[in-house]
Amino acid sequence: MHEARIAKITSPIVSLKDNYVRLIPISLIVAAAGIGSALLLSLDMQRFSYAYLTSFCTLMSICLGGLFFVIIMNLTRAGWSVTLRRIAEIIAMCTLPMFFLYLPILVPVLTGSDAVYVWNAEGWSIHGTEAEKQAALAEADYPPPIEALKALYLNRYFFGIRMVAYFLAWGGMAWFFLSNSLKQDKTGDKSLSVKMQKNSTWMLILFAATLVFASFDFEMSLAPFWFSTMWPVYFFSGSMLSALATITLICLLLQRTGRVTDEITVEHYHDMGKLMFAFVVFWGYIAFSQFLLIWYANIPEETFWYAWRINPASDGSTTGWQWVSLLLLFGHLLIPLLALMARTVRRSKNFLFFATIYLLIMHWVDHFWIVMPQYTEITTAHTGPAAGLALSFNPLVDIPCVIGMAGVFVALFCLIARDRPLVPLKDPRLGEALAHHNP
Amino acid sequence: MTEKTKSEVSEQKLVGLLAQYEDPGSLISACNHARESGYKKIDAFSPFPVHGIDPALGIPRTILPFFVLIIGLTGCAVGLGMQFYANAADWSPLFPGYSFMISGKPFFSLPANIPVTFEVVILSSALATFLGMWALNRLPRLANPLHRISRFKRVTNDKFFLLIETKDPQFDRTETESQLSSWGASVVEEVKEDLTDQQLPSWLQLAGLMTALLLLIPPVLIFRAEGMTNRKPRLHVVPDMDWQDKYKTQTLSPNLGDEKHPKFLFVDGRAMQEPIPGTIARGDLDTDSEYFRGIKSGTDAFATVSSAGARTSLQDDTRQDDAANDKPAEPNSDTAATSEPDWVTQFPTNVEVNLELLERGQDRFNIYCSVCHGYAGNGDGLVNTRALALAAAGKAQWTAAKSLNDPEIIKNPVGRIFDTISYGRGTMGPYKDQIPVEDRWAIVAYVRAIQGTGIKPESTTKAEEDAVAE
Repeated sequence: MHEARIAKITSPIVSLKDNYVRLIPISLIVAAAGIGSALLLSLDMQRFSYAYLTSFCTLMSICLGGLFFVIIMNLTRAGWSVTLRRIAEIIAMCTLPMFFLYLPILVPVLTGSDAVYVWNAEGWSIHGTEAEKQAALAEADYPPPIEALKALYLNRYFFGIRMVAYFLAWGGMAWFFLSNSLKQDKTGDKSLSVKMQKNSTWMLILFAATLVFASFDFEMSLAPFWFSTMWPVYFFSGSMLSALATITLICLLLQRTGRVTDEITVEHYHDMGKLMFAFVVFWGYIAFSQFLLIWYANIPEETFWYAWRINPASDGSTTGWQWVSLLLLFGHLLIPLLALMARTVRRSKNFLFFATIYLLIMHWVDHFWIVMPQYTEITTAHTGPAAGLALSFNPLVDIPCVIGMAGVFVALFCLIARDRPLVPLKDPRLGEALAHHNP
Repeated sequence: MTEKTKSEVSEQKLVGLLAQYEDPGSLISACNHARESGYKKIDAFSPFPVHGIDPALGIPRTILPFFVLIIGLTGCAVGLGMQFYANAADWSPLFPGYSFMISGKPFFSLPANIPVTFEVVILSSALATFLGMWALNRLPRLANPLHRISRFKRVTNDKFFLLIETKDPQFDRTETESQLSSWGASVVEEVKEDLTDQQLPSWLQLAGLMTALLLLIPPVLIFRAEGMTNRKPRLHVVPDMDWQDKYKTQTLSPNLGDEKHPKFLFVDGRAMQEPIPGTIARGDLDTDSEYFRGIKSGTDAFATVSSAGARTSLQDDTRQDDAANDKPAEPNSDTAATSEPDWVTQFPTNVEVNLELLERGQDRFNIYCSVCHGYAGNGDGLVNTRALALAAAGKAQWTAAKSLNDPEIIKNPVGRIFDTISYGRGTMGPYKDQIPVEDRWAIVAYVRAIQGTGIKPESTTKAEEDAVAE
């Protein structure tokens, strides 16, 4: 019975081809218009930087989730996901060009701007002799001297070096998988699968190590006094969830336009639905674990981060952030948890189409909730009680910015995919994926 | 068939027909045929899970997930409700819980209750899955007629089986057999159930009944206790500590006024008060100077506080403080002979020296004194010997314990020996708090008895010689 099924690609179109190539300039125009209008309408470089960082982190985490998907599928010799893997490989490959999208944040940091990362302010990354450092620290009443040690890590030069290292590592890993997988499309060499599996071992460790520090650098260092050892896991859980949603959404869109219609079946969608369900729970589990420990210990050094997001302002006025926190609790955890629970629902393409878009919007809200209160905090630190959400959310800035970032992603995806096959044509486990069946 | 001889004598019932197939493919095709022919009561057996067997058999999707969901949600409500009851329901007259303030959180604070709720959901769902799976599969089943067929044993190895039960309305002995064969079965066999020993053994039934009856006793006792009144007071293990007319330590003084204008029973507002200066606890007056201090009465009075350092002061605590202040200046109190009190030279009148006292003294001496002074009072106790060795090696500072046979020591009056035991001398510590007065006198008597005997116990000779050698 188990004599090899003939693995055959039967879809009429397996690559993007013409229409999608035309999509590249369109999405680039959308990107330029979105991000440009966000810049113009914010009328403030600092305000724009925060909106931009929110969108950037949303997209960056999706690409990282895609990379993790590729690594883990290779590592576990997964057969069922072979037909989905190329899309994840292309998403992962976006990590390298994402470096250039981080430059609008990184370059000001390197030139000494503290508009986004307050640790880059004068007195934070103090250089010079020990005596000079001590003198400078003694003068500065804010921030207090604890960051003499933190400045060893959080200083513009080391930050820049780390960023280059992260993106090189991610880009290198993504390129390794994409290039070998593409080579296999031509040669059908089975040893390439073995090679990818072998190398995915240490790459998984490298991925974890880089993701941990990158998650600190991108977002946690916005509040440089705050720390949570759960943070990287939190970042990762959202990242993986959104990557699964993105892969599913791309498959659905591609199939609607007649690409890879036969290779990705309802069984694959069912499994992606299961994984999304699992990662919705995982995200909630991690988010709550991080919150619970800080809430219970009730130590001021840790609680202030949540206090900005949950408590009313010190004068009793509402900041509005607690509604965003509640939106995350219900919108990011409880509603998708119940919605994705049933089997019939996970097997419905129409439902998954809306579910993935919904989850991606919630993922953006998650990053908005992480990044933006810091803007509120630093801009109102010297003017009295926090003005709250009203100051942080400007639909004319934040929404065009994230739409523009989505345009960037579509353009990058189409550029990388171009006329390359959207499924691994000669993967040795292709047959298993084609015959995949949920019990 | 292998059990033919046995089966002929027993009453048997046909359960179904079992067909053997050689590979999963033909099993699935046979299942499809059976389903399409309208059979309902069919079941397939295979060594490993065969993909697609469920639709081939026409098995509907299991209801287990819904069952688990309902139990899980129930567990969620129970877990949350349990914590609410335990922590925050003290207002309820029916179910008063216990309101404990924990690290300043509200009595019912949702974040703190989520982990327990989550765990209860997981536990109840897991149990519901496990038990529900058993129930839906009608397990545990003590015997299955299929296991009577020796051919069927290979179902865990390399053979595939399809069973069509007689309960199926379409079942027909000959018709079904030919159908099964035509769908590719290599063998078709009857499955028979033995009806003769379907009953549980009678002793097992009896044992089960007895166990069930015994299990009823505890609940019956509890209900009996719940339903009856009892005039006897409840059992209190230490009753006098349950109700005490006292205020606890570190509490507020009872307030005789109101909240705004407090009028405390004690002006400083504390329930704890220090004793009035000069207070002596009951039984601690200790006026008998000869007995309690070893000093001749008349020379040691409340009023005559001699310069010898408070030896005469009434309260031992005060005396000790003074002694602590005075003593360091004179490492060996023998040098302060000029200010020695007038020690008693005879045992106090209420100490009767007899064999019983000496034996008691020996017993106490061996416990408290011999570690340093040695069993014979030669100053060769284990601690002393060891400490001397260490001191000789420069690893410790140690003043050698006195030999009680030292002529200088022998000269001491009994009162002074008593005082030494009570308050120590030089590096020797006080034993007043470890050894009661009567025992101290017993030790004095024993010391007097062994002093000057000069007997060196053999067991310690070696150690002492070593110590001296070092």
